[in-house]
Order: sequence, then structure tokens, then C-alpha cells
Amino acid sequence: MFIESILLVSLINPVPSGENSTNVQMDAYPIYAQIQQPKDSTINKETIKTYELGQVTVSDHLEQMIKEESSNISFVRKDFLRKNRGNSLMKTMERLPGISTVGIGSGTSKPLIRGLGFNQVVVLTNGIKHEGQQWGADHGLELDQYNVDQVQIIKGPASISYGSDAIAGVIDIKDKPVPDRGSQGGSLILNAKSNTAWLGASANVYGRREKWFYDMRLSYASYGDFKVPADTVYVYDFGVALDQGKVRNTAGKEFDWSVKLGYLEGPLKNTLTAGRVYMKSGFFANAHGLEPRNVNEELHDSANRDILLPHQEVGHFKLIDQFSYRFEKHLIEADFGFQLNERKEWSQYVNHGFMPPNYPDELSYPSTLERSFDKKVFSMQLRDEWFLDQHQLQFGLSGEWQMNEIGGWGFLIPAYQKVSFGLYALDKFKINDEWQIQGALRYDHSRIAIEAYQDWFPSTEEQEEQPSNYLYRSQASTRTFNSQVWALGFNYAPGKFSFKGNIGTGFRVPIAKELGANGVNYHYYRYERGNAELSPERSYQLDLGGTLKEDQWLVTFSPFFNYFSNYIYLSPSAEYDYLYGAGNQVFNYTQSEVVRFGGELSVFHQINKSMNIELLGEYVYSEQVSGDKKGYTLPFSPPPSVLLNTTYKPLWTLGLGKPYLAVDYRLTAKQEQIVPPEKMTPGYRLVDLRFGAELNLFDSPLQLDFQVRNLFNTRYLNHTSFYRLIDLPEQGRSFNISFQLDI
Amino acid sequence: MKYINRNGIFSTCLFSIFVFLVTSCQFNEDEQDLILPEIDNSFSGAFPSQCAVIKRGETFVFRAVFKDNVELGSYSLDVHHNFDHHSHSTEVNDCNMDPVKTANNPYLLIESFPIPEGLQSYEAVMEITVPEDVDPGDYHFMIKVTDKEGWQTLKGISIKLD
Repeated sequence: MFIESILLVSLINPVPSGENSTNVQMDAYPIYAQIQQPKDSTINKETIKTYELGQVTVSDHLEQMIKEESSNISFVRKDFLRKNRGNSLMKTMERLPGISTVGIGSGTSKPLIRGLGFNQVVVLTNGIKHEGQQWGADHGLELDQYNVDQVQIIKGPASISYGSDAIAGVIDIKDKPVPDRGSQGGSLILNAKSNTAWLGASANVYGRREKWFYDMRLSYASYGDFKVPADTVYVYDFGVALDQGKVRNTAGKEFDWSVKLGYLEGPLKNTLTAGRVYMKSGFFANAHGLEPRNVNEELHDSANRDILLPHQEVGHFKLIDQFSYRFEKHLIEADFGFQLNERKEWSQYVNHGFMPPNYPDELSYPSTLERSFDKKVFSMQLRDEWFLDQHQLQFGLSGEWQMNEIGGWGFLIPAYQKVSFGLYALDKFKINDEWQIQGALRYDHSRIAIEAYQDWFPSTEEQEEQPSNYLYRSQASTRTFNSQVWALGFNYAPGKFSFKGNIGTGFRVPIAKELGANGVNYHYYRYERGNAELSPERSYQLDLGGTLKEDQWLVTFSPFFNYFSNYIYLSPSAEYDYLYGAGNQVFNYTQSEVVRFGGELSVFHQINKSMNIELLGEYVYSEQVSGDKKGYTLPFSPPPSVLLNTTYKPLWTLGLGKPYLAVDYRLTAKQEQIVPPEKMTPGYRLVDLRFGAELNLFDSPLQLDFQVRNLFNTRYLNHTSFYRLIDLPEQGRSFNISFQLDI
Repeated sequence: MKYINRNGIFSTCLFSIFVFLVTSCQFNEDEQDLILPEIDNSFSGAFPSQCAVIKRGETFVFRAVFKDNVELGSYSLDVHHNFDHHSHSTEVNDCNMDPVKTANNPYLLIESFPIPEGLQSYEAVMEITVPEDVDPGDYHFMIKVTDKEGWQTLKGISIKLD
């Protein structure tokens, strides 16, 4: 905690390691914090270089983070991630105000920032946009949660530096700092969770000679069906009995590896990272198909950890090179990435609509391969930061090429190729010690070419035996998009107060799914129809932030207002379609004007040396102000919630290192703002407990952390969960234990 | 202690703003329809009912009443085989099922119909002829109805073709 606080402080105001003692009082700050633009943020990077504070190295990479825009930036570090570890990285971060998740069973989830998510949130790893999770709510992020050092979150649009998809925000998973010269080390993490019978392990070794360094990690996790405090759930009106509260077929496993090789010499740094994340996880068997299903309960309930049909399998491979070079007053950075996302969804063949009753042998896919996606992405980022007296200029160029191929007997999203590039310029101007302003412009161009897709079966009697006449689900089409976005911001920091504001536009190009979807979504029993004529999503956003920082207080308030002139929205209609949709309700991708506002409040108070309290609140309101669903909200709108925390860090240690005990009490209001087909969700109260300490094992620190999640085994529904529509309660009580040995 | 009081006031103010935002946001004045349509197939004359047996080669009349608080949208009928015992009905009583078997020439009906505009209640009546040469056995009769806003209700009934 001490080291981390120093790290935090040093980020705000870098100090050489010898001067730590002057900042001891800063230990009061929470393990994550809103970072304000520092008053001295125009410090020339040449003079900063690298600060070594105990075990932690503060590199330019981190320093640069603080110098980002005047938008709302917060970030979490290793310590927070370890103490709050959930079933996936995004579940861990859910504790942060403004962040919620769409959870899919135990091991998968995707982030929502202020209620917006999916392809409106950019997730970066090693400087490159993570591509693969944006197909739909049922697809999570392919990330190794153990391989995360720190995460930076930008709430609000960050389209300028991150590209047009960052209309709602950015989750930037930062690279580990470079190890000290001549150092070698490693760590071993083991954790177990009672609810899902989760067993996870991760081992890591790293080292550095003079100029070369490496870092390798292997992670494995296996988990069983998760348990909910209910014996029956209703999938629409279909009652499903659960054996001992276990959600049938939600077990999964994960196997990940990564290797990094780096070179550092004077102003030059290059790292090459390769890694793969493999996940296999089941879907709740009763809630997948053309309709709610009765499944072979005997087979499913006989074992807890087996993954039967339906399930998904994802392999995500990444190869990333990050290069940086410093000369004179410039910092040049270049990131190149290749990603291969292989996703397969397996389920029993069910003849939907006019498909033949039995799966034909001559088809090239196995009868259980419902859908597959093979997506290759090449991406590139070039950046030049130029430090002039009062100006800090940044120029950037990004480019991306994507190719998606599809397979399986089902069709939902077409194959496509996409090429895009963007150019931006940003200037941060320091007027005086208290005031700083910034302005930015960005231009984007992208082109998407969608391939045609024809059914492999006849859909009407006239078409029989004439494959050339079978229905086209997707016609070949090409769309081109151009856009300019701008942003203006300020930082004003008089004394212990600081204020920031940001106004700007955002722009998001419709994705292949929004343009070309045309099939039954088996997870939702609905027919989704894209619209090739959609125009890009455009937003106007105002973000404000105020912070008060005093000896024992840290108060941050960050309200926002957001207007979309044409939000892309999947709107349920009154219509049914029997030709393409197999008799399912039609959901159309449409556009409407949307108004959103809300904010986050966090209050941290250090009562005395060993005790602190914290309050974290969030609120979002969204409303469609035009179109079919005028007056309704947007899907997945998180309800208001407040989290109260007390943390006790005793001054006595009894031979333990850094003992702590924390209680989180979360109050979530009911959500009555819904849009078809959502349901109102009642409010709930949850209590989580955390405690732990450090032991010395053969001169190596062994960190022990315990969590009791959902202490009172409360039965509650999460409004933003993937399984909310079928009234599936969230996980019941879980005892989680984690060991981390650093060598 | 002076600064603590002042900060206490400051944070109280911020919290008040927050609470105000949370509680005061009734942005729209429009009435939203938040109620799902209903399917009534329990009146006398409604057909098919759970476990109904229908003779192949004969014509039967589907009859059900749909209701909505504002305005109905459309309805859809879907008859498909349940030879693999995959599906489950929303009705409480289970019917006697034939053993699991492979489909050869199963009966399939998928049709959807718009409901005339402006109705809050609508009786659907439709004659359906089951071809003679289809596989006999367990079938599933799905009835789905939407209202104008896109709320949907569905009902599944187990039937048998003889």
C-alpha cells in the first residue's frame, strides 16, 4: 500500500526516490483515485525519464498517462485488482463508479461505461485496440485477468486519441513497467472460489539484463456451474427447475499464455509481445435455441464441471510490437499489432424455419457448429509528442485492416473486410500555474465491404432444388465513412481544488452486425435485422469534474451530459418474420436521438491512521427523444447505486505485513427505466467482505487475500446481466481465497 | 478541525447535487407502454389446448384471443416436431409422449399475421389443414403475440398428430 501510494503520488508529481518521506501522509488515498491533470503537466519528458521507488518503477509510459486529455480519467492498480478479484477482469472493476458489466455466466463479461458498452467502448491492451468481443452481449473480453498490471479508464468520449469507437470511453490495460536492471523475479498466483468451484493458477517469470528484458506468463482456470439462491427460474413463462441452484452447463475453462521480449537502450525502447487466450464456456442449456428448451437434466446434472452443448470456444492470439524513441523534444511511439480471433459457437442442430429436419451430411461443417467467426486484424498506431515551452503537441496516425470470415450452419453476421485510418492533432497549452487548456481535431476514414451470403437450404416451395435461387441473407455491399471530430478542454487547479471540463464530438462507424445482421439470434429467440443504410453514430458530450484534496479528504464529482443525434439501437418491432427469422420477432437496427446525463461521486475520508471510509455513487439517465421508441430509455441502463466502504488497517501486525479488513455495502436502486424486451429490476443490497495480509515465506512475500462475496446469499437480479431477460438471479454467496507469492 | 467542517459542508453539497440528480429525473412526460400483451386460450372453443390430438389429413381451427393495454401488433404460429423431446410447454400438465425418434417428413408450419390496427382485443381464428403424409407423433404448437411497441408474449402447447 505504501509503495503504491508513493507510486500514485509520484505520478501526480514525480519525485526522486530519496524524497519519499515527505509524502507519507498520502498513504491516506484510496487504492484507486481520480487523477487530475497535474499542475506541472507540461514538464518536459526529457527531464523525467525513469524514477525508481523501491520495487516500483515509474516509467514514462505511466507519466504520459496523466498527461492525457481533460476528460475523466481514473485508474486501478494491481493491488486493487488482487483484493477485489472477481470471475473476470471486468467483474473486478465493477466496483468503480460509472463502470458496470454485462455478465455472461461465470467467466465472461464485458464492460459498460456509464451504461454504454459493446463497440462503443474501446479496450486497449499493449497499446492496441482489442478486437473480438464486439459481436454481441454474449461475447466477453478475451483477456487474461492475471496478466493485468494496471488499468486506466476514461469515462466519456475519447475519440481523438483512441479512434472513433471510443464514443463512450476507454479501458486501457497498461503494460507492466520495465524490470530493474539486473533483476529477476517471478510470481505465483493461486485462487479458489466456492460458488463456482473455481480453481485458478497463474505463474510468471521476468528478468532483465542490461538492455534486454523478458516477461512470461501462463494461466489456467477451471470452474464449474455457478450457483444461484433459487431452485426454479422462469425462461419467459417456461419453468426450469435447477438442481441445487446450479445453473446448468455454465462451467468453463481458460488457458492463457504470453511472452514478452523487450529491448531498452537510452532513448529507444522496443517490446514484442505474443500471447493467446483460450476460453471454453457453456451457455445455460435451457436458454439457448429457437425457444426455451427442456434439456437432458440427468446428463447435465450428473457432473458439475463438464461443458456440454451449447457452448462457446474462443481463441484469441495477439502479436504486438511497441516501439518508442525519444529525441530532442519529441517522443515518437509506434505500435503494430496482429490479432486473430477464432470464435466457435457449438449447439445441437435444430432445424430452424425451413432448414431440413436432419442435418445433411454433405455440408462441410460439423452438425454441432452453429456459428464460427475468424477475424484477423492488423493495426498500427503512430504518435509524435512534441514538448515546446508552454505547448505539448501530439500528432497521431492510426490504421487498421480487418477481415472476418464466417462458418457454421447458422447465419447472423456477414463476412466482411474493413479498412480504416485516422489522423489527429492535439495541443495542450499551459497558460499559467493554474490554467491549462487543450484542443484537438481528428479525421477518420473507413470503408467496409460486406460479402454476400446465401442460405444453404430452400425457404419456399418454389425454390426447391435450385441452390442458385436460395435466399440471400446478405447482399454484397460497400460503405465508406468520413468524419471529423473535435474536442476542447480545460484544467483549472487553484490550491486544493481542481476543476476540469471537456466538450467535444464523437463519431462511430456502424459495425458489420449493425449494417448486415440478418438471422435468428439463438441466445435471445429473436430475429435481428441490420440496416445497410445506417449513418454513423454521432455524439456531443460535455464532461465536467471537480476535485477537492485535503489531508484527510478526497472528494470527486464528475457529471456529464451527452446528446446523440443518431444513436444506433436494436429496436424490437411488432412484426414477425417467417422467411428469414423462422417465425421470430423482428428486431431492427434503427437510429434515434438520445439524451443522456448523470455522473459519479466519490468521497474518501481518512478518519484516523488505521481507518478510512469511502462513498462511491453513480447515476445515469438515458432517453430516446425521437424514433420508434421515443420516451423509452436505452437497453442495459444501469440503475443508480451507492457503495459504502469501511477499511481498517490495524497498526499492530502480529508478525503479519499490511493486514487489512474491508466491508463493502452496495445499495442499488430499482430500475424502472426500461425498453422492450427488458424487465423492471428490483433494487438490492449487497455486502462483501475482504481481508488479508502479507506473510514472509523463505524471505519472499506471500500475499493472502480472502473475500466473501454476497455475504448474506442475497437473491438479486442484475439489470445489466445477459441473463436478466430470463430472470436468472446472480451468484449466491462465495468464499474466495487467493495466494500470491512474489519471488 | 475547521477545515473538516468546511469540507463536510462541501461534500454534503456535492452529495445533495447527486441525490437531486438521482431523484429529479423525470425527463419525459409521455406515457410509456410497459405492459406485455396476453394470450388467452382457456375459454371454451379455444383450440388447440394442451395435449390435444389432431388427425393427419384433417382440418382444425386455431382459435385464441389476444389482448393488450394499448394496441396489438401481430401474431405468429409455429408448429414443429418434438420427436427429440427438446421442447417444453408453458402449460402445467405434461402429456404422454411417444419415444424419441428421428424425423423423416415432419410437419412444419410457420406463419405470421398482422393484427388490424388500433385493436386492444382480437380473436384469431384460422383453419389449418395437416397434410396426410407427415410424420405422426409429438409436436409443439407455439403462439406468439406482440403489441405495437414490440413487447412479446409467447405460449407453447404440446400436441400430438395421429
